[in-house]
Amino acid sequence: MSRDHLGERLSALVDGELGPDEHETALIHLAKCESCRFEADMLRRLKRRLHGLCEPEPDHDFMGRLAGLSRDPGVGGGPFGGPPGPPPGSFGSSAPLGSSRPLGGFPGEVPAVDPAPDAGGRTSAPGRSSRRRTDRFPHLFPGFPGGRYAVAGIAVATALLGSAFVAGGSTEEAPVVEPRLADFALEHAVTSRHFTVAGTGADEVGGADEAGPAPAER
Amino acid sequence: MRAGNPSARTAPAPLQALALLCVLLLAGAVSPDAGDVPAEGPDDGMPVLRRAAEAADEVAYSAVREVTGEDGESDLLVRVVNRPGDGIALLPLEGAEDALVVRDSSLQALDDSLLSTLEDVYAVRDAGRDELGGRNAHLVEALRADGTAAGRFWVDAGTGVLLGSSVYGERGERVLGFRTTGLEMGDEHWPDHASGDEPWGDVLTGGEREELREQGWVLPERLAWNLCLVDARSTSYGDQRVIHAVYSDGLSQVSVFIQRGRLDTGSPAVLRNGYLGTGTGGSGVTPQHDTIPGGDTGRYHSVWQADGFVFTVLADAPAGLASSAVTALPGPEDSGFWSRVRRGMARLGFL
Repeated sequence: MSRDHLGERLSALVDGELGPDEHETALIHLAKCESCRFEADMLRRLKRRLHGLCEPEPDHDFMGRLAGLSRDPGVGGGPFGGPPGPPPGSFGSSAPLGSSRPLGGFPGEVPAVDPAPDAGGRTSAPGRSSRRRTDRFPHLFPGFPGGRYAVAGIAVATALLGSAFVAGGSTEEAPVVEPRLADFALEHAVTSRHFTVAGTGADEVGGADEAGPAPAER
Repeated sequence: MRAGNPSARTAPAPLQALALLCVLLLAGAVSPDAGDVPAEGPDDGMPVLRRAAEAADEVAYSAVREVTGEDGESDLLVRVVNRPGDGIALLPLEGAEDALVVRDSSLQALDDSLLSTLEDVYAVRDAGRDELGGRNAHLVEALRADGTAAGRFWVDAGTGVLLGSSVYGERGERVLGFRTTGLEMGDEHWPDHASGDEPWGDVLTGGEREELREQGWVLPERLAWNLCLVDARSTSYGDQRVIHAVYSDGLSQVSVFIQRGRLDTGSPAVLRNGYLGTGTGGSGVTPQHDTIPGGDTGRYHSVWQADGFVFTVLADAPAGLASSAVTALPGPEDSGFWSRVRRGMARLGFL
């Protein structure tokens, strides 16, 4: 028994799907076989981590785009229930969750970060897909903090420019006024004592209220 | 960068040279010209001018006043009748215009402010005796820091009446002035029928001006080093308030009229890139904001809108002085994207 490793039964053992006799036999083998014991330990850890993951709630934007995909006739019949073999890059074309390499790697393998999915044959829009997944599972993609900062910076700059553009708009609430150049010229003359009332040329500019009513108060 | 990289040792040198160049350029940009500083001097001409200001309130006289431009030719010819207590009457010698009486009771304070500003900006020198219109006069000169004359006054030696004055540009050219001839004592020429006017009565105190600034009104105490706020008044057209800010260097006057609002979209000022003003010589129109006061007769006016206010500037001043006044105020609004963003940044407090 010690020579024949548990193989497929190891997974059934971890999942508690073996019968009583097979379960007893597998435990005896594990007591003797260090390799199977290590693998069983890794499988248990993986199972605990997967149980620890929360089910993410799809946001409204995601659901909206999902509905748009389902209405788009150019995308192979929709994300669910469509004909087999959806176009590469469309929703559902990637490998199912859990089919990729286990977290932490296989026994003896140095754990490495691989931001790109290595299964499913994705060939189109990898950046967009990985960015969404990065946002949703930031602990799974810890290798690009600078990218997030850049996106945040661009967002802040855009918001600032937009706010300034809105704030810099013309003050529509301000009333329309028409400078009374004739009155202003007279006021200028009587305060300056240059007495050039007749020569101010205020009428040359135009737009002035030459015969406007007298000021309300003086 | 590694310590062994040669560029690590050479990089600071160009940076230092660049920093030094920036410092030199900034120092050159902010250093004033030789004449852009108040002139020092004994100001021994001020008593003569104060006597002239007092004579305007004490001596009844009539004379013919010629307002002249750069070429010395008469631009305006009026008979002036001064009656202490009533004001001064202007009777056009040509044309059929009515006489105008300017009640000067509220102008005494303005005269004091003008004389004080003149003393601060220029060296006021008693240049001795001269003659104007056949009368002996004291000649008083207002000198810049470089010794050139910015203005001259002729004060009648016997009565103290101001017989004439001239304002000169920085190149020594005569910009504007007036001279009085045919001086007669008494007020027998006082008109029987005349329309009257006086400055706007609501004089703004320092506290009221500060309150207006807090509300967003542009009302600086100085427009330039030599243009001081000497008077501020306001009036109302219906519910629209108009502020009249008077700036002067003691010789010339720049009036800035400010009212909250915006120009009509069909206004010539809006159609002409947001600005409208007099062209060369004070006549015609031009849409170029910073080159408006480029004329030579000393009478300029311009209208534009900026930051929710409409500015109207009237100036009896040399071109340089009027230009510095106009450009010291908020510039006309531009409808471009970045101008709008810059304006919004300023309103949000980032600039």
